[in-house]
Amino acid sequence: MDAPLYLRPRVEPPLAALLADGPFLHSLADALGSPLNVLLPEAVAANAARFRAVYRRHRLTGRVYFAHKANRSSALLRRLAAEDPAAVGVDVASTEELRHALGCGFTGDRIMATGPKDAAFLWLAARVGATVNLDSPGELERLSALVRAHGLGRVAVLVRLSGFEHTTGNGGAGTRLLSRRSRFGTPVRDMEELLSALEHNADTLEFAGAAYHLDTTGVEEKARALEQCVLFMDECRARGLAPHALDIGGGFGVGYVAEAEDWERWTTALTEAVLGVRPPMTWRGHGYGLRNEGGTVRGATALYPAYRPTAGPGYLDEILSLPAPVLGRPAATLLLEHLHDLYIEPGRSLVDQCGLSLARVLDVRPADTDAGHHLVHLAMNAGDMSLEEHGVLVDPVLLPRDEAAAGDGEAVGVYLTGNLCLEGDLITRRLVFLPRLPQAGDLLAFANTAGYAMDFRAHHAQRQPVARTVAVERRGDTWRWCPDEDYWPITPLGGAVG
Amino acid sequence: MRYDSITEAIGNTPLVRIDPAVHGLRNIDLYAKLEMLNPFGSVKDRPAWHMARPHLEADTDGEGTVVELSSGNTAKALALLAGMHGRGFKSVTNRMRVPEIKELLLLIGAEIEELPGRSECLDPTDTDDPLTQFHRALSDPGSTYLHTDQYFNPRNVEAHAEGTGPEIVKDLDGRVPDWFIACVGTAGSSTGVAKVLRELDPRVRVLGLVAHKSDFIPGIRTMDEVHEVGLFDPATYDTIESVTSDEAIDGMITLIRRCGLLSGPTGGAAYEGAVRQLRYADAELEGTGQRRTAVFIVCDRAESYLSYVRQRRPELLGRTDRGRSAVAVTDAEARAQGRVIDVQEARRWCAEGDPRPLVVDLRSPHAYAALHIEGSVNIVDEVFEDLLRGGLPFSKRTPVLLACPVGEKSLRFAAALTRMGHPDVRSLAGGIVAWRDAGAPLVRE
Repeated sequence: MDAPLYLRPRVEPPLAALLADGPFLHSLADALGSPLNVLLPEAVAANAARFRAVYRRHRLTGRVYFAHKANRSSALLRRLAAEDPAAVGVDVASTEELRHALGCGFTGDRIMATGPKDAAFLWLAARVGATVNLDSPGELERLSALVRAHGLGRVAVLVRLSGFEHTTGNGGAGTRLLSRRSRFGTPVRDMEELLSALEHNADTLEFAGAAYHLDTTGVEEKARALEQCVLFMDECRARGLAPHALDIGGGFGVGYVAEAEDWERWTTALTEAVLGVRPPMTWRGHGYGLRNEGGTVRGATALYPAYRPTAGPGYLDEILSLPAPVLGRPAATLLLEHLHDLYIEPGRSLVDQCGLSLARVLDVRPADTDAGHHLVHLAMNAGDMSLEEHGVLVDPVLLPRDEAAAGDGEAVGVYLTGNLCLEGDLITRRLVFLPRLPQAGDLLAFANTAGYAMDFRAHHAQRQPVARTVAVERRGDTWRWCPDEDYWPITPLGGAVG
Repeated sequence: MRYDSITEAIGNTPLVRIDPAVHGLRNIDLYAKLEMLNPFGSVKDRPAWHMARPHLEADTDGEGTVVELSSGNTAKALALLAGMHGRGFKSVTNRMRVPEIKELLLLIGAEIEELPGRSECLDPTDTDDPLTQFHRALSDPGSTYLHTDQYFNPRNVEAHAEGTGPEIVKDLDGRVPDWFIACVGTAGSSTGVAKVLRELDPRVRVLGLVAHKSDFIPGIRTMDEVHEVGLFDPATYDTIESVTSDEAIDGMITLIRRCGLLSGPTGGAAYEGAVRQLRYADAELEGTGQRRTAVFIVCDRAESYLSYVRQRRPELLGRTDRGRSAVAVTDAEARAQGRVIDVQEARRWCAEGDPRPLVVDLRSPHAYAALHIEGSVNIVDEVFEDLLRGGLPFSKRTPVLLACPVGEKSLRFAAALTRMGHPDVRSLAGGIVAWRDAGAPLVRE
């Protein structure tokens, strides 16, 4: 058998302690079924504090808005609502998310409405005094008309900009830093239309500032966008408008895999497998985007960079420290000197280490007898734990039903299959190595799934159950839990225990 | 030597023996093929000219831009060649990681396109890498790009099979070396040279060097990246080993300081990798009375890699000591020696002071232009710090109010000025932010 290729998950204290308590997790799954999502609301508050620390280090003011779409949980939202109102808000991308945020205790002034918006969404956002992150001049006009027609008060708005690579005259002649095209935002080159729309609608809209979100891990692209926005806001001031905030969106990232070496060894092996110089390490030779063309590897891995030396708050720090391409000063200095507040919208990175997903092992059987590989059938499908769908490759943690019988065992390569009657329902298409062969009744815990991997893609196909979600908290030596919907950040979990 | 064109000076580079006292191999003669002495400065001059020549000499009325995926020497050579022939050159690259090379390319007149970073919110169905899109754009009908395609173009290999390889054999009096060592970038030089040497003597051993996966050595690919190179064939090499950037710099320093060879890190990597590998063979040869020969390639020169060295081994470049900075003030010193004034007091001082204070805004000119305290002058902190090295920049009779965004930098400067003997310098508490928050007026021109 080939040497096991692990992608061991990065787990930090609260989550690590939870994973270490197999009997507790088994008791939860026994009571509530599989799949099951387990959340740590305290961890989300700790993450918010880490982002705030970066603000403090750079002397910046402004709010951290949690991108609600990363997780539907009430517990996480309510825990964040309990944080300092001036420091933590929520970014909602639908009417239902907005209603949920209000119901979880966020007042309107702490809410940012983003994404595609229909009239109901715009009306409710305007009514409760949320800030509306406007995607286009058309949306601006629609909101303004709504405010006028219904006699709503002035609404704070940000304008989302895009197309920074097309701005000319800056960034050094001869060099062009390309960016992926986005379907959102107003291209910077069309800012004239935007500015005059803001001026015409000054009675209904209070122009609070600019926004962008770039889908890239490249800090240079983000530093350029940030500077372009500062220049844009300056132009606004010259025309008598008074913007004061810059929203730089999210995309701060999460490190899923603990060790760089694991990640490097695995990706090298994938390249070799695609070239056929080592046995396939994926179901049916799936190449994750790589293909073999006459002995040469072509294509790009459709994988999230699962090992990241800097992510989350560290990545924000990196952006803020990067010198702006035109004005030369670090981004944070630029914001500070121009007296702008900084808004960010972290999703995935704010719920880093905030939870895990459990799946019960239903059946284990040999797959390739020669290689010693097995199929492990789980009471969960690919929609319930969608790390794979987001290109994140990381190993689950095996929690044996019976610790005593677990023994040492031998590492084994398995394919994790889902509970749908569908060839394509694989939890992951790669061969996963576990320290020993699981048995029916064991649990697999997928760590760090709170960001986009828990309920983003969960569905009711084939009437399979959708995971329940619980909030847990460590109290002394024991874990306390309650259903997600029953969590409030005031009473100790599991009832009023003294 | 007289030439009609600089391109005639490409090739015929020297083969120089490395002093055994430097490498310590007792039974092996180690030679460096000095490709850095090509006219544009690197081994890439050969393939660049060989690949581009048919395009450039074709009669196209100066139409078309030469384009290549390169962030280094190939781009440099192609840009110069394109310029000589009245064409443009465009380099497409992931990231220019060596700033000097980027600036040099811009100086030559190249256009640089940097590809976007990885997607953060992944769409797994989008497996088209930017390179695939790049190739699609090149094959658009009506495209006037001349793509030299160094990673796939057989003329890259040919340039070395016809030039570099035979030159080595000729300089060794017709003998084929026992080892040939090269770093693998496009695989052009190693493949071309290995081909010629093997034809003449199949016993030659070829060592290919790649960079450690998480490491970066200019011009060398990592183990994974070589598989994306069309010209790369594992069968070319008897052994493939990896080297680290640390080893590359060590090798570079040895070649520079002890051999008089102003090599860049790639040549350093080849030297270090060669010696590491040959040590075993040398031990086996001990006492047999046999002598062997090995050749490695010095790919380019050191000058363009100063920032690369500075980043990894700053001690090698020494330190520039500009003397104690005037603002080298500890937090405690700043608090003890810097005087502060709150917004309300400062407003009164500016309006009624006798004499009124000179207000110095330490923010950047752009921020100052956007909004500032009326009547203030703008001296950005970096410049102000430089000014203070030369002494007090204004009279002791002029009171001074210093303002920065939040009152931190201004306090340090206030302490520094006080220490320099200025009797009345104050720092605006809370800075311009506090000024604005208090509703005090800010103007723009």
